Amino acid sequence: MIISLTYVAACGLEESIDLKGGTIITLETKAPMSQTEITNLCKETTGINDVQTSISGTQATITIDGEVDADTFTQKTSDKFNILSFKSVGALLTGTAMTQIIYSLIFAFVFMSITVFFVFRDLVPSLAVILSAVCNLSVAVGGMSLVGVPLSLASVGALLMLIGYGVDTDILLTTRLLRQNKGSLSERIVGAFDTGVTLSIAAILSMVVLYLVVIIIIPSAQVLEDISIVMILGLCSDLLATWLMNLGILKWHIKREN
Amino acid sequence: MDIQKEQFIKNPRTILLIVLLLASIISLCIFGLQEGLDLKGGSMIQLHLEKPVDQDTMNTVTAVLDKRLNAFGVSDVKVRQSGDQDVIVEIAGVTPDQVENIVKTPGKFEAKIGNETAISGSDVQSVSSKEVTGERWKVPFKITTEGANKFAKVAEGKAGTPVDMYLDDELISSPQLDAGLANGVPSSEVEVSGGETSKAKATEKATEVHTVLQSGALPVKLNIVSVNSISADLGNQFELGALIAGFLALAAIAVVVTFKYKSWALVIPIMVTSISELVLILGFASIIQWNLDLAAIAGIIAAIGTGVDDQIVMTDEVLAHQDKKSHRKNIVKTKIKGAFFIIYASAGTLIAAMLPLAYVGFARGSTGIGMLTGFAVTTIVGVLFGIFVTRPVFAQYIETFFVKSPKEIEQEKRRERKSKG
Repeated sequence: MIISLTYVAACGLEESIDLKGGTIITLETKAPMSQTEITNLCKETTGINDVQTSISGTQATITIDGEVDADTFTQKTSDKFNILSFKSVGALLTGTAMTQIIYSLIFAFVFMSITVFFVFRDLVPSLAVILSAVCNLSVAVGGMSLVGVPLSLASVGALLMLIGYGVDTDILLTTRLLRQNKGSLSERIVGAFDTGVTLSIAAILSMVVLYLVVIIIIPSAQVLEDISIVMILGLCSDLLATWLMNLGILKWHIKREN
Repeated sequence: MDIQKEQFIKNPRTILLIVLLLASIISLCIFGLQEGLDLKGGSMIQLHLEKPVDQDTMNTVTAVLDKRLNAFGVSDVKVRQSGDQDVIVEIAGVTPDQVENIVKTPGKFEAKIGNETAISGSDVQSVSSKEVTGERWKVPFKITTEGANKFAKVAEGKAGTPVDMYLDDELISSPQLDAGLANGVPSSEVEVSGGETSKAKATEKATEVHTVLQSGALPVKLNIVSVNSISADLGNQFELGALIAGFLALAAIAVVVTFKYKSWALVIPIMVTSISELVLILGFASIIQWNLDLAAIAGIIAAIGTGVDDQIVMTDEVLAHQDKKSHRKNIVKTKIKGAFFIIYASAGTLIAAMLPLAYVGFARGSTGIGMLTGFAVTTIVGVLFGIFVTRPVFAQYIETFFVKSPKEIEQEKRRERKSKG
């Protein structure tokens, strides 16, 4: 967690065009073209130098750091490209989006914490659950920075999801350990571990499947790709946070109570 | 077993589930699903008004835009407001040329003689169809009696002077005042005309002027802040991909569950429950005509994922310590209660985390992060259906079939032990 926070601090997060403004164009090339050829053609057409291109098969996704007029671009490149999708976001929109994202994240976190406190009504376990959520979030954000997933509306959605969903296994563990008294402590831990790991594996696996399908079949569905990567990162972190950190805290808490 | 089956099916919770499932399927058949822009292809133009406006002004803005796009010949247009300062225009198909212009034009029309305003946009009563001959075009229109009187007064005695017609302060035509109009007698028939360099351009200009005259002026200035268009091909690809992804994700979960329990008596109900949840969410979406987009699909996958989680929690709670003989039924009851505690708690945290997003979508409109409203809403709806409709039935299933037939469970246990050992 510390490593990933340091990494974010050092390298920062890329912002997608949702947040910094710009244009994304998905297109099909009519004749085979190299990445550099496409990039250069776009630079010429738009007069903007910050152009990034990624190719998969005959489809290419181009990110241009600036506003581009859809009609002019389509006309000028019509002999080379077949435009599949066009998205441009002005700077005006992006300021609002950023504020909304920050507020949504803060409120989601606060609401989640309140729910957890309300459910357990016990300081130490609740804090442990919340700490684990912080952990998941920071690992996910660190991972985003490392893998190069930009902070976009979609990845924010996934982060919010992680806030709410990532604590499930912690809630399971805490409930099994503190609220039920059948069986010895270690029996309860083993039981919770058995269930919890199944949950995490099922969730991670379904996200991996989603990721693979997106990569192979619909490479331009950036929304789904971002969501799945962020979820995979966060859920993996949750495995560690729950069973290494949270379990330790709870054991210590139970011993102290006794 | 038959008595148990009957008991299970006659349970109010089961009946509720079946009724809701049927309702969903019927609604899906009748209303179908509303697909979002990214699945069916189309364009979305986001407009930002110069300043926040009240509801009346907003209504005028959306009405004018709607009228303009219809008059311009764009089919299947949806204009909706988003908060008090943004408007979203959705068009099926890719943005035709010029739509952006049509949308942006304030549409202030004025005809001036000398420096005096003779007609303004609000005097226009109706617009006849445009006429294009060669490179010349004209758009005849009628003005109100009031407007005609005003025009007659201003024009009186000014035959031969030019009538300057402005659209958004740009001079578009300046015909000479006909003697027949300068005699002080009000006339309601007026026309605006001009010439371009080619026939195509003349038609284009005539269409624009016609559209703007007919729809009237926009009360505030607005700017295009984002354009997003997706071709129908790509939309179909997305749709297919999302379907495959959803199906495979479900299959992956089925594999994990099968691997863990190795019992069809558990795996099948778990999958049936998940699929019912899917049907319920889709049915709900079809009843309220909710737009399903990629984000919403991600939400559905998430909701179903948490649903499976809950069923695993429940099954584990019940199966654990199953071999303790005494008060079997009571033990199971408390177990299920314990499981529901976990289920409610995790549903609570998920809904809590999604609420701000849903709030932004409804209160602030669907610009910015509001584009994720579909994600938040489908997740919340899915979770609610899960905890109140499908999960109780699953609990009932476990309670009915796994409690009164201990033999079967012993067998399961034995099989499980065997495969583990």
